[in-house]
Amino acid sequence: MGIEVDIIFKIAGVGIVVAFLHTILDQVGKKEYAQWVTLFGFIYILFMVASVVENLFQKIKSVFLFQ
Amino acid sequence: MTAGAGRFPKKRGRSMFKLIGAVIIILSTTWAGFEASRHLSQRPRQLRQLKSALQSLEAEIMYGHTPLGDAALKISKQIPKPLSWFFEIFSGRLASGETTVKTAWDESLKEVWKSLALKQGEFEILSQFGETLGRSDRYNQQKQILLTMTHLEREENDAIDRQGKYEKMVKSLGFLSGLLLIILLM
Repeated sequence: MGIEVDIIFKIAGVGIVVAFLHTILDQVGKKEYAQWVTLFGFIYILFMVASVVENLFQKIKSVFLFQ
Repeated sequence: MTAGAGRFPKKRGRSMFKLIGAVIIILSTTWAGFEASRHLSQRPRQLRQLKSALQSLEAEIMYGHTPLGDAALKISKQIPKPLSWFFEIFSGRLASGETTVKTAWDESLKEVWKSLALKQGEFEILSQFGETLGRSDRYNQQKQILLTMTHLEREENDAIDRQGKYEKMVKSLGFLSGLLLIILLM
């Protein structure tokens, strides 16, 4: 349980900081950099979530396939 | 029981280390951001100083009839630090002799370039000005100085534009990228 809460906070932190970066870069007219930053943040979070989901699948496998 | 009791202080020590590392990361990236913004604000100021230096050089040549080395020495006393080194070195090289004005100008320009906040465009303008220095009579020299001043004026406007645009961005970018790095490494 502790790990899951931790990862949620981490995702929230990345989201907040990336949102700030996006706003600032947008304001000075560097739209393309802003979009790259957002994209990389999104990919990073996606990888994190993928690892959590992979854990979940492993658990399901171990429960239902008796391995 | 003993294992659990042993683990707790160990974990605490590790989070302490993490905290110290996080503070160091934040400090260094923020410092880098401030350094970059200082560089941005330094450039228009140095261009302004350079312009006033050229103005007094013009006055020395036109009305004072001062030799170039003495004029450079006088100017180096009038203007603040990083730029004054340039004129000081230049006049020193002229006084030591054995060089042309052009090579003395170029060499002293290269020597102080690292400590200035100026860009490649200004370097070209100044080295082109150095080629004309001491080559012609006073009136042509005055024209060259005026031409260089107009070039520098244009660069100054550009520098002010960039300062207004990027100064705040660079500061907050430094801090925020430090924050992001900490969250990613945590």
